[in-house]
Amino acid sequence: MAKPIATPVIELHDLKKRFGIGDAEHFALDGVDLVIQKGEFIAIMGPSGCGKTTLLNIIGLLDGSTEGDYHLDGQSVATLSARRQARIRSRQIGFIFQSFNLIDRLNVIENVALPLTYKGIRRTKRLKLASDMLRNFHLNEREYYMPYQLSGGQTQRVAIARALVNQPSIILADEPTGNLDSRSSHVIMEELSDLHKRGNTIIMVTHNPNLVSYASRVITMLDGHVDTDTHGLIEKPLSPPTDHVFNSPVPRIIKIKERSSRRMRKLKKLHATHETRHK
Amino acid sequence: MRFLLLNHIQNAHQSLHSNRLRSGLTILGVTIGVASITTILALSAGANKVVGDQIDALGGNIAVIRPGATTTDTVSNLTQTSPHHDFAASTLTEADLALISSIPHVKASAPLMILSGTIKADSVAPVDTPIVATTSDLALISNLKIQNGQFIDTTVNQDTVVIGPQLSVNIFGTDQAIGKRLTIRGTPFTVIGVLARTNHPINYNAVNFDDAVMISLASGKQLNKTVPQIQQINIQSDSVTNLDQAIIDLNKALITAHKGEHDFTILTGSQIAQPTSQVFYTIAGLTAAVGGISLLVGGIGIMNIMLVSVTERTREIGIRKALGANNADITMQFLIESLALGLGGGIAGYAIGCLLAFTISTFLTFDPVLNWETFFIALALSAFMGTVFGLYPAIRASRKDPIESLRHYS
Repeated sequence: MAKPIATPVIELHDLKKRFGIGDAEHFALDGVDLVIQKGEFIAIMGPSGCGKTTLLNIIGLLDGSTEGDYHLDGQSVATLSARRQARIRSRQIGFIFQSFNLIDRLNVIENVALPLTYKGIRRTKRLKLASDMLRNFHLNEREYYMPYQLSGGQTQRVAIARALVNQPSIILADEPTGNLDSRSSHVIMEELSDLHKRGNTIIMVTHNPNLVSYASRVITMLDGHVDTDTHGLIEKPLSPPTDHVFNSPVPRIIKIKERSSRRMRKLKKLHATHETRHK
Repeated sequence: MRFLLLNHIQNAHQSLHSNRLRSGLTILGVTIGVASITTILALSAGANKVVGDQIDALGGNIAVIRPGATTTDTVSNLTQTSPHHDFAASTLTEADLALISSIPHVKASAPLMILSGTIKADSVAPVDTPIVATTSDLALISNLKIQNGQFIDTTVNQDTVVIGPQLSVNIFGTDQAIGKRLTIRGTPFTVIGVLARTNHPINYNAVNFDDAVMISLASGKQLNKTVPQIQQINIQSDSVTNLDQAIIDLNKALITAHKGEHDFTILTGSQIAQPTSQVFYTIAGLTAAVGGISLLVGGIGIMNIMLVSVTERTREIGIRKALGANNADITMQFLIESLALGLGGGIAGYAIGCLLAFTISTFLTFDPVLNWETFFIALALSAFMGTVFGLYPAIRASRKDPIESLRHYS
């Protein structure tokens, strides 16, 4: 369960991102104000092209904003050098992508160990840490498989293991279940939810309204700005989503705690069936 | 500070290994260039060593005077296809010879008047057999040993000749040729001596004495319609320390005698040791050009492959950046890969160059010399190629925008 503390991890103020110039000018982000506390599990929703991924990329320091302030741990990122930003990506941020983005040439354990390389950890230690991380995801028997030998769910779990191996404080997931069937999606969401319980800040972009029940806070975006935000509304039922895409009501997040033990049982069962399916 | 070098090397190995054929062909380009450079360096060092060894064996008190003000630096020797103007009239005269003998500290001086002509005995000698008209001092200065008989001197008759052992075998069928007769340009001569085998076909006299005919200067003049044509004068000073003084005096005396015209060159030590064979210069020049061009082509090959590799791995670059690699890490990753291609070519090229040099040397009269210098030149050259031609692709890789890269589907 999220335990908000005083200093926000991420603070965005009037953030704008422009693509193109002149006639082709287009603001992907048009004045985003957002404060994210440590330990929150945020689901960002919205129609295609509303700027969700752009926002995630800016938060992850892969992209820069055109205007506005971005404070990460109280420090403005505009003042940071490219090298320093790379260092933050290496130590504080873990990325999970829709298309998994494992390196095809490298086997599972090498893929997981990759972020440790840029932290300057030696090979033996790297492989050991990666192996430990893979064990958490029940993938220790797949260590020397190549990415193409894994199923989609397994690949995404490898990608999550890779995102976590550096023990980042912020995890950014860009439609982590977008390429997965619903069963695998739920396995992945259980993993993320588990991470959230251990105190990680998770920001997830998703299209799937069924998955927002895992989040502690749901933000919907529209045309480059925050449309609705459940922040402070957790106890109350949410107002209906703006877009007709969201035909199911946003679930009541209050119930997460009650459901968690039931969910753990379900997770174990899912793992078991998943493994047998791919043997 | 992070230490990623080892990781980059492992990474380069993995990446090059996964594209074996492509890497192999790229390396081959560099290999050919380095191999030809190694071959020429080894062979030219061998040729230099042959002459250098002779100079050393003779002691450091030898100087050579040649007609014409020739340049002696290596670059112009390599670029000029014809360093010696054989067709030009010699500026050295008999008067100069007398003058040189009178210079203090000059112990011995021997002119070399090299003629050509038909030499006939039981069989006809090859057309290029050199006829050397000289004096008895040549045996002293160039350390020519007599196997049978005696060397030409002032006391022997004019129509006498000393021949090299190989020529003796070639035209008489034996090296016991004393008293036998041969004709040079139709003039009969009697053999009074056969030289001991020197086995130094390349030397500072540019004459293979194993294959030569030596006659007195007077006979030479007679054969050349009484005109002396002295191509070279060898000088020996009475000691090593006095050689410099002798050369200074020689210079002054000769310039005065030539009415202020500096139309001669005095060479000493390593200057004499520079290869004198014209054919060798031509081959060396050609091989150097081929080596240079193929190195350049090899380098372009590296650049080409690295650019392809960067494009192919755009997505990987994006992933690596998202996982915390900075621009320097990406630059190093690709630079080390291209460096590995260059060095691989360098090492293979050196090995093949050595083999090639030894193979070629079986057709030549001297052995190639392989030293650390050659190895380091080959290695440095290939490392240079790898770095210079890998730099642009590597920088291009590091400048890639991570978001664009992640969107890239390969």
